[in-house]
Amino acid sequence: MLALTAAGGPRIAALNEAAEAAGLAPGEPLADARAKAGDLQVRAVDEAADDAALRRLALWATRYTPTASPWNAENGADGFFLDIEGAAHLFGGEEKLLADLSSRLEYFGLPARFAVADTSGAAWALSRFHPAPCTVLPSGEEARALKPLPIEALRLSPETCTTLRRLGFKSVGLLLDKPRAPFAARFPAELLRRLDQALGRLDEPLVPIVAPPVYHCLRYLLEPILTQEAVVALARRLMHTLVHVLTRDDVGARGLRLCLYRVDGAVETVDIGLTLPTRNVAYVARLIDLKLEAVAAMQEASFGFEAVGLAVTRAEPIPARQNELIEDADDAGRNERSAALIDTLRQRLGPQSVRRFTAIASHLPERAEALAPVTGEVPPAPRPAPEQEAEKPRPLLILPHAEPTEVTALVPDGPPRRFRWRGVTYEIAGAQGPERIGAEWWRLANIPDHSRESGNSALDEEKKLGPRLRGDERRHAPTRDYYLVEDADGRRFWLYREGLYERETASARWFVHGLFA
Amino acid sequence: MAQPTALSMMRNRAEVAAKLRRLLPKIQALRNAPAIPFGVAAIDHYLPQGGLAGGGLHEFVPEAGATPAAFGFIVALLARLSQPHPLFLVLPSYGRRDFGRPYGHGLSALGLDPRRLILVETAHRNETLWALEEALRSRAPSAVVGAIDKLDLKSSQRLQLAATDAGLPLLLLRPAQNLESSAAATRWRVGARQAARDRFGLFVRPRWHLQLERCRNGRPGEWLVEYDHVAHRFSLAAALADHALSRSAGEKPLRQAHRS
Repeated sequence: MLALTAAGGPRIAALNEAAEAAGLAPGEPLADARAKAGDLQVRAVDEAADDAALRRLALWATRYTPTASPWNAENGADGFFLDIEGAAHLFGGEEKLLADLSSRLEYFGLPARFAVADTSGAAWALSRFHPAPCTVLPSGEEARALKPLPIEALRLSPETCTTLRRLGFKSVGLLLDKPRAPFAARFPAELLRRLDQALGRLDEPLVPIVAPPVYHCLRYLLEPILTQEAVVALARRLMHTLVHVLTRDDVGARGLRLCLYRVDGAVETVDIGLTLPTRNVAYVARLIDLKLEAVAAMQEASFGFEAVGLAVTRAEPIPARQNELIEDADDAGRNERSAALIDTLRQRLGPQSVRRFTAIASHLPERAEALAPVTGEVPPAPRPAPEQEAEKPRPLLILPHAEPTEVTALVPDGPPRRFRWRGVTYEIAGAQGPERIGAEWWRLANIPDHSRESGNSALDEEKKLGPRLRGDERRHAPTRDYYLVEDADGRRFWLYREGLYERETASARWFVHGLFA
Repeated sequence: MAQPTALSMMRNRAEVAAKLRRLLPKIQALRNAPAIPFGVAAIDHYLPQGGLAGGGLHEFVPEAGATPAAFGFIVALLARLSQPHPLFLVLPSYGRRDFGRPYGHGLSALGLDPRRLILVETAHRNETLWALEEALRSRAPSAVVGAIDKLDLKSSQRLQLAATDAGLPLLLLRPAQNLESSAAATRWRVGARQAARDRFGLFVRPRWHLQLERCRNGRPGEWLVEYDHVAHRFSLAAALADHALSRSAGEKPLRQAHRS
């Protein structure tokens, strides 16, 4: 038995068959229950776990139809809707589908009640209150079927139900043939809305647990499959089926989801993103193979998979193209191969491993560029003006963090003569600079990592400069003077001095930021 | 007896034709992979195809402390490739700590449009080898570049084969330690030298000391080259202190000079 803490002490939330036989009912105070039946095992309700279990079950039920919607708290949170329109015939009719569903749930040890109706409201009511555990309601019979059911079948709030009962409305039938206006005036809008929803006068959209895919294809297996090869082979066949529909609509898949329905009810999903829309079966099969290797989906396949679904989560148009006779001379083919290569690398090495440079308008060198995952076609990135480029040297390799270095210079704000970095002393033969790069004042809290380490210097700075730096100003990184230096062996480095003498700092610190060819 | 011979000849013919048909794509692939010339006759005529073989593995070994320089030399070579297809750059993530990562603005300072480059980061050597081979076999890029810490003979044979089959150059940066024999078409040792400066003291052209250590069907050699990123042009550095070196480097047969 499960108990729930509510106003006025704990109450019964759910109970098993034995407890029901002892004459207990949900909603009773726990103290009463203890008095009625001596030896009760009471556990606290774990709503989060219930919710997770329901979602898992709803996900499993997507094997019947892509639209599965678990009930929210308003609906009692103990079941789910399935939109089986257009899916029932695949199982030989609604009755057969229900029979299959109930036998599978029974196999999981979950007794359940089912109802099929034209509206989700009617289905909900029948599954809860109809005497038969399995009901299929013919079209247009909602009003007749709902008549004998108690008013709770309309999914109303407990307060509304109590008021209605007090007024003598005990069943739905009594409400149906009464004029609407008085109800609208005296009751919350909920009453008529729920009534209309149950009768199909008002739409009730379902919120699916996963967005239903545009194109999808599912195959049930007589014998569960265990090996990766079998899954890939099946995925290949599913893709074959999908290709016809995709070709008809002139689109290709940009995103694919492979759903593996395990025998024990769990669902493994494998998502695959593609750089260019594709309809190539062999290629998709290969990507799935690579991805299955990378993720551990197959490791838990001890029970095997009883159904495999492949869905196109994102489709994009493929422009029609004449295939060239000579493949190698085909430039567009090369673009496709390039996209295929990127996808292949990404499946095995991870989505963040294949990237491209994108320039960003910023003065700070470490901020002026980002690596972005490659998507689709080559993006036309903005390039700095050529004259700007020529003026300012930029390193070939930039260090992830500027590294502190000890520098000897002739004059404090002159070019460096010698520096020590990573335990090696370099004599500088030539220097070019400085190139002064100021902090971007429009960004706040713009302090690089290394200056945060040494809080002392910031404090000193503050003391020395006193009232001149205040508020946000103080949080800006100091100005940097960059030098391109070359040692006697021809190695070139990019050094900078942080802070302007006399104005920003008393003892400037030096950093190595990049390496030149 | 005449008929069987004719038949066997026919069969032979069919076999020969089939064999030729199998060979043909390979020959075409070889033809389709033009060499990458340096544009410096003195270097090009040391190489069997008048330039770096378009399909093949080329190794670049930096001298002590010259890894950035060797990478810069590779970038300069890439910048000279005129095909519009992307370039794949496979770098292991562990190199990031020591050398950071390639900087797009720095690449364009060497004349290479960073948009052409696709950066692939790998976690360990097997992934690097796999990614390099995959990139070659796809035949999508116009060149593949990689850095690797260690390469055994067998892997280098695989890569060399993949590169020749695809007709794509594979430029591989590998450290001077752990050098084993390899199946590469060429091996270069690259050292940094003081850059050429203009009259204002600005660094204008980087210079590299090149040693062609191994070259299949070619001769080893040694040069001091500089690179002009605006013209995308290599040239031999003007005679410096080391006279012997520069003279041997500048020597070129007339025939070769006309060809380039």
